[in-house]
Amino acid sequence: MPLIDLDGLRIHYQQKGRGEDVVLLHAVTGNLSIWLFSNLMGVLAEEFRVTAFDLRGHGASDVPASGYTSADMVEDLRRLHAALRLGPALLVGHSFGAVVAVHAAVLYPDMVRGLILSDPYFPGLAHLEPNLADAEMWREVREALVDAGAELDEEVDFTRLFQIVAALSPSQLTRLRETMRPSSMRWLSQLPRLAATTCGHDVFLPVGLTAERICQVRQPLVALYDEHTSFSATRRFLAANLPGAQMEIVPGAKHVAPLQNPGAFTALVQKHLRAMARANGHPCSSTTPGSIIS
Amino acid sequence: MSAHTQEQIVKDLGNLLREFNGKEYSGDIGSKTLFFGDLGLVSIDAVILAETLERFYDCGFPFGQFLSEIEREGVRDIELGELAAFLHRHMIRSGVDA
Repeated sequence: MPLIDLDGLRIHYQQKGRGEDVVLLHAVTGNLSIWLFSNLMGVLAEEFRVTAFDLRGHGASDVPASGYTSADMVEDLRRLHAALRLGPALLVGHSFGAVVAVHAAVLYPDMVRGLILSDPYFPGLAHLEPNLADAEMWREVREALVDAGAELDEEVDFTRLFQIVAALSPSQLTRLRETMRPSSMRWLSQLPRLAATTCGHDVFLPVGLTAERICQVRQPLVALYDEHTSFSATRRFLAANLPGAQMEIVPGAKHVAPLQNPGAFTALVQKHLRAMARANGHPCSSTTPGSIIS
Repeated sequence: MSAHTQEQIVKDLGNLLREFNGKEYSGDIGSKTLFFGDLGLVSIDAVILAETLERFYDCGFPFGQFLSEIEREGVRDIELGELAAFLHRHMIRSGVDA
């Protein structure tokens, strides 16, 4: 398993293909398997050098007790980018991964050549989305857990969610398997490892990525919003305040477009990455990795 | 090296998954064993198994195609026999068994 040591934090990553650098950033509570289950990585690796990694606390990366804000994640990305000797990269981020991508573009503009965002909600734009608890994915998971006998308030509380899932009994898990989709169960099974961390709290902190900072992004940016997104106000904000941004809709999807409509999602990502690469002159990068552990 | 039959691949998978990524399984492992339901593995384990199998057989596999088909069809789980059939098909195509 390829792990890289970033100042004592071991991060699991995968790298495939050759060409301009593309980095894939998964959502909070996800892992890099989304790029395998959607086959995005395989498709993009035919024309780009694609690097995907598990954010701290996720997948096969280490699970530190704290440090889960988008700013913390940007520092991990910066160290990974340097250790793998990547060139200025095109970032593709899903949900919180898109927040990390935008934050990286603001803090380290030389590291980021372009951005493709999939259905993001920004803590710094929370005032635009006051009814977060109505978001369909939260309501669905909450209803399934309540149906299985767990107690979870209507208010969005990831820390509580992680703790509840960590404490589920075998019979409650059996009940959930009967009611939830396979991909949802795979997602749920990863939450207990975050129960003892500050992740559930940290990911909702703006940590400087305010509306004003978001508007400072100057790299080419494409926002892919899901047809049934819960974050329409955020989409309108980006369209209105980032004049160069291109907006696209992924048909049929509701927050997890890479899995809910992988064909359309992959085609859109591929189309826009190609356009960004053409605009960049499509340079090739070194393929020498940094300090790989195993 | 002898040819990798589908039956042998199932045995290989059993040996690899008996104790895998911090999880142990004491039951019988065969072609009907379920990756998630029986072995208790999670999505990131599929990634790590893919990495492990590519090293084990010294062969690149299009796991993305295999897993995305499973995802698209809404299949609840993966039988090891299905995985073995996919590996076997790809090894024949890529000449690993030639």
